[in-house]
Amino acid sequence: MHTKSQTMASLTLRINNKDYPMEVDPQMPLLWAIRDFALLTGTKFGCGISQCGACTVHIDGESVRSCVTPVSGAVGKSITTIEGLSADNDHPVQQAWQEEQVPQCGYCQSGQMMTAAALLEKHPQPSEEQVNAYMSPIICRCGTYVRIKKAIDKAVEINQKA
Amino acid sequence: MKTITTKSASLGGNLPRREFLRLTAVSGAFLAIGCSPGMGGEGKVTTIDPAGGTDIPLNQFVVINTNGRVLLYNHRPEMGQGTFQAIPMILAEELEVDVEKIEILPSAADDKRYGSQMVVGSRSIQTEYANLQNMGATAREMLKAAAAKRWEIDISQCKASGGEIIHPSGKKLTYGELVEEASKLTPPENPPLKAPGDFKVIGQPIARRDVPAKTNGAAIYGLDIQVPGMFYASVERSPVFLGKVVSFNDEKAKAVPGVKAVVKTQRNVWGHTREGVAVVADNYWAANQGRKALEIKWDTGGLEKNSSATILKKYKADATKEGVSLAEAGNVSTVGGEGKVVEAAYETPYQSHVCMEPMNATVSVKDGKAEFWGSTQNPNGIRSQLARQLNIDPENVAINYTFMGGGFGRRSMTDVAEEAADISLQVGAPVKVVWTREDDLTQGPFRAASLNVCRGSIADGKVETLEHKVVAQEIQNQTGDKMEAGRQLMGGINTEYEIPNFRISGVLQKHYVPITYWRAVYHTTNCFAHESFIDELAIAAGKDPLDFRLDMLKNHTRYTKVLQTLAEKANWYGPREEGIGRGVSILERSGAFTGMVIEVKKENGKVKPVKITTVVDVGICINPDTVRAQTEGSIVMGLTATYKSGIRLENGAVAQSNFHDYNMLTFEECPPCETYIIQNEEKPEGAGESGLANVAPSLCNAIFDLTGVRVRKLPLDLGAIG
Repeated sequence: MHTKSQTMASLTLRINNKDYPMEVDPQMPLLWAIRDFALLTGTKFGCGISQCGACTVHIDGESVRSCVTPVSGAVGKSITTIEGLSADNDHPVQQAWQEEQVPQCGYCQSGQMMTAAALLEKHPQPSEEQVNAYMSPIICRCGTYVRIKKAIDKAVEINQKA
Repeated sequence: MKTITTKSASLGGNLPRREFLRLTAVSGAFLAIGCSPGMGGEGKVTTIDPAGGTDIPLNQFVVINTNGRVLLYNHRPEMGQGTFQAIPMILAEELEVDVEKIEILPSAADDKRYGSQMVVGSRSIQTEYANLQNMGATAREMLKAAAAKRWEIDISQCKASGGEIIHPSGKKLTYGELVEEASKLTPPENPPLKAPGDFKVIGQPIARRDVPAKTNGAAIYGLDIQVPGMFYASVERSPVFLGKVVSFNDEKAKAVPGVKAVVKTQRNVWGHTREGVAVVADNYWAANQGRKALEIKWDTGGLEKNSSATILKKYKADATKEGVSLAEAGNVSTVGGEGKVVEAAYETPYQSHVCMEPMNATVSVKDGKAEFWGSTQNPNGIRSQLARQLNIDPENVAINYTFMGGGFGRRSMTDVAEEAADISLQVGAPVKVVWTREDDLTQGPFRAASLNVCRGSIADGKVETLEHKVVAQEIQNQTGDKMEAGRQLMGGINTEYEIPNFRISGVLQKHYVPITYWRAVYHTTNCFAHESFIDELAIAAGKDPLDFRLDMLKNHTRYTKVLQTLAEKANWYGPREEGIGRGVSILERSGAFTGMVIEVKKENGKVKPVKITTVVDVGICINPDTVRAQTEGSIVMGLTATYKSGIRLENGAVAQSNFHDYNMLTFEECPPCETYIIQNEEKPEGAGESGLANVAPSLCNAIFDLTGVRVRKLPLDLGAIG
């Protein structure tokens, strides 16, 4: 029942402007390279099949589901994880998430914030439809949606002031 | 007895150790982001203050540094419920310190010092409030006594405020200056407590201290744990519950690079042994790939013939039994008489917890000792489990608990830690077991499915009799021969309604599907039936459903206040907008009283909830922002269970496997929610499940109001409502 390559390869990932050399199965999802090899655990495993969004990272500025992206596909690209979203936990999305007290368990929030950051990068003044399109695929089991909605408005506001 | 069919040589000694990010012991940085120390951890924090000074404990919750820094220990694991902030708030209130300046640290798992540390049933605040007040007040009184001694005045002349003791003349001593002397004094037996009117911290919407760590990836969850020499395990388990391993071929699994061992393992779920085959590797992906290459022969013993349909058929047949009386008054045999009889049966499915953090546990078993790291609602339960299973003294089990990526009852179980310990013992190295989402969804345990049969009669516009029979499995009685239903089965059935003749009964079911606690437990199934049926009776009586409830609760002050406030906030008696249906429901859970009104309308042929108004009475509210958050979260989980998902069983196994076919409510689908908190000075009650069980009945009552269609089976299909 082997469906994946069994070959190991030496490769280097560039994550948050730092190089991480590693020897891995190039078919392994980027998620596990980030978590178990680069040891950046802010990016979360939720479903493994691109259905929950907890593993969302940015590759060259685009939000990507790292659980279904082979690590080979990320080589030579610039990967940003939640740890690299800002140096001081003060990206407008992070500020807004704190001000609105969004997280409960917090587990899905890296994916929520990385998606929201990508949304605001593309659409600094997002319409309701754009917000829904970006945010609806990211599942929160604690049910923080009411606050995520408020926090996105707040992040737009913070962006405007900046 | 278990037979181990495969056993590798010890893996621990002959493999290169990887470099590890974290956790060789307990470090200050680690504590600060939410992982408790394993054993005797309190002493170690003396080293983490960069400003120097000495940390001196006044009791197991309160530590004050000679430089004035205040450290408060939180003894309850955090899964999103907010006690990480609420517990120190109670301590800080009595201690008279500036809540902005305190530091919160997770305590060790140590039931000898802290009593129960289990976070279930929304009980942390409810059961710990008095003790925490006392602990804060005791420390404050000791500091006052030390000042009084130094100033040679009576303690009654000393006032505590903002981390200082104030002399009548206005001179002050800081807590840091007094702590050393204070720590040598005998703690007072009954320290005076503040009147609620004097509270400065309790009742304030204070920002949660765990939030910043949850916005930059710093918060540590069980799945993030790395320990030196650790291996990863992925376990293949029988898709049909209770399937036994007949044989397995691990040749291809072992050929996957990184795979180190394949071992048979097992875990216990409420008395049933569940078997599996674990693939152990030096990284998770390899373990998972190896697992996919396993060939296992299972003996499912005919259980593969079961399905949701066969289970329901059995429940329906058993519903004709009289059942065990769980509560009754008057005589229900008077049913009918002159009155109008109403009968209805309600069905609810199994539900999965689907915590966003899949189940996992890291355990190291070595030299007669064991250490656990992970996300758990039940740290001391894991210590007992590992001690029992490994036949070692509980003192030799260290427990490090982290933040949880959701709990909802699933993480009160100790089965995953058991599995990790079993595998660690077999391979001779620390092991992190990682469940996939598919494992989580298909293995359970689940919230119980149920059939609720209700019968009642109306005379002169009032309920004359009401019978409610619950047909379901019972969590604490899943194996063995005892067939008598217990009171657990009647959770969430409101016995406060003034109904002259009522009977609540249970018909116990026992079979192979594993169940356990699920946020708000039986309330979520029973309250759907009961509050829907009260609505059906109100309609039969020709009464307004809210007034009908008020009339039966007129002597219950708190329910009355909740209903009256709800009527006002939801504008129940005001003019009704065209095309809007409204439903109401009330509930008591963990001592908190809640009422909910849901408004629905039809859009593109589909019914949708458009507004949810909730009134909550939790008694003294520690942190209103947290109570609101918990209510909002309860609503989302309630909506998901009402119309998004339900576990289906086919061929003895769960038919769904992941979020694509077991759907969650989405951001876009979440309706506006308004939450109102009733202010009073009753003792604090549990807010964590507040409102969840109200969602299904108030939504279904609203659907009836709008369409005349009565929903009696969940999950409902909003698109199929006529």
